[in-house]
Amino acid sequence: MGALAEKMNWERAQFHYRMFCQGCHSPDGGGATSVPPLKDNIGYFLEIPAGREYLVRVPGSATSALNDGNLAEVLNWIISEFSGDSAGENYERYTASEISRVRVHPLDEVEHYRTKLLAQIAAAKARN
Amino acid sequence: MKIFDRLFEQQARQLAQRSSRRGLLKGLGGLLVGGAAVPLLPVSRVHAAEKPMDKGDPSSCDYWRYCAMDGFLCDCCGGSANTCPPGTEMSPITWIGTCRNPADGRSYIISYNDCCGKSSCGACLCQRDEGDRPPYRPDKTNDINWCLGTESAAYHCSTAIVVGVAFEET
Repeated sequence: MGALAEKMNWERAQFHYRMFCQGCHSPDGGGATSVPPLKDNIGYFLEIPAGREYLVRVPGSATSALNDGNLAEVLNWIISEFSGDSAGENYERYTASEISRVRVHPLDEVEHYRTKLLAQIAAAKARN
Repeated sequence: MKIFDRLFEQQARQLAQRSSRRGLLKGLGGLLVGGAAVPLLPVSRVHAAEKPMDKGDPSSCDYWRYCAMDGFLCDCCGGSANTCPPGTEMSPITWIGTCRNPADGRSYIISYNDCCGKSSCGACLCQRDEGDRPPYRPDKTNDINWCLGTESAAYHCSTAIVVGVAFEET
């Protein structure tokens, strides 16, 4: 994790958030109307493998113009900046290889899928 | 969304009966109904170190911040490059790009938040479109109506708000 953190450029990640994410997810990750909030919530998705993959498979991530390394970097920045208490302390950071493997399966439908995912995450949290 | 709310509520109630993690469920429920009731807008989010030297006429299409503009300038419509005219609502969902400031040679991130809720201003039409892409890049097309998340989708004019300094690889 230390080696990965050294490769990350937080200034570049913040720039990419502003350029490719902020327009919908807002400057503080709070979202708006039908755009879900990253703030204080995004860390929950790391609880289960399907949730972790969801953050990569959503069209805003999977079809983004960002390359695998930059997408991993900005996702890690978003989690670091906006997750609040939802991520815990020892989550595994995204890597370019993980992004490369997962983003080739973008979601065609998001809202129904997210609903089911949240129920699975809540159940997993209750078990832990 | 009502179906999702009922479904999640049903599942949540069942789960709540088996656990005491009500705080978690409340938090996860928020993910179903969307973002904050009062979305954060980009005005005044730039730190002092990121504020650019600002020269030029914001009522002119040539103004440096308008490099990607496609619409009516709010500065000519009773607002300003940063603010919406009275009686309109700033869209929280917006097109974002970068423009080079000739005063210092640096590129800045510009958020082109539309002002909505009134019919088109009709003054100072400006179409420079730098960085605009066709609709197959929905996040970078400025030809769609960006009055999203507002009470009315009627487009009135566009702002051009500096939200940061562009990152440049060294």
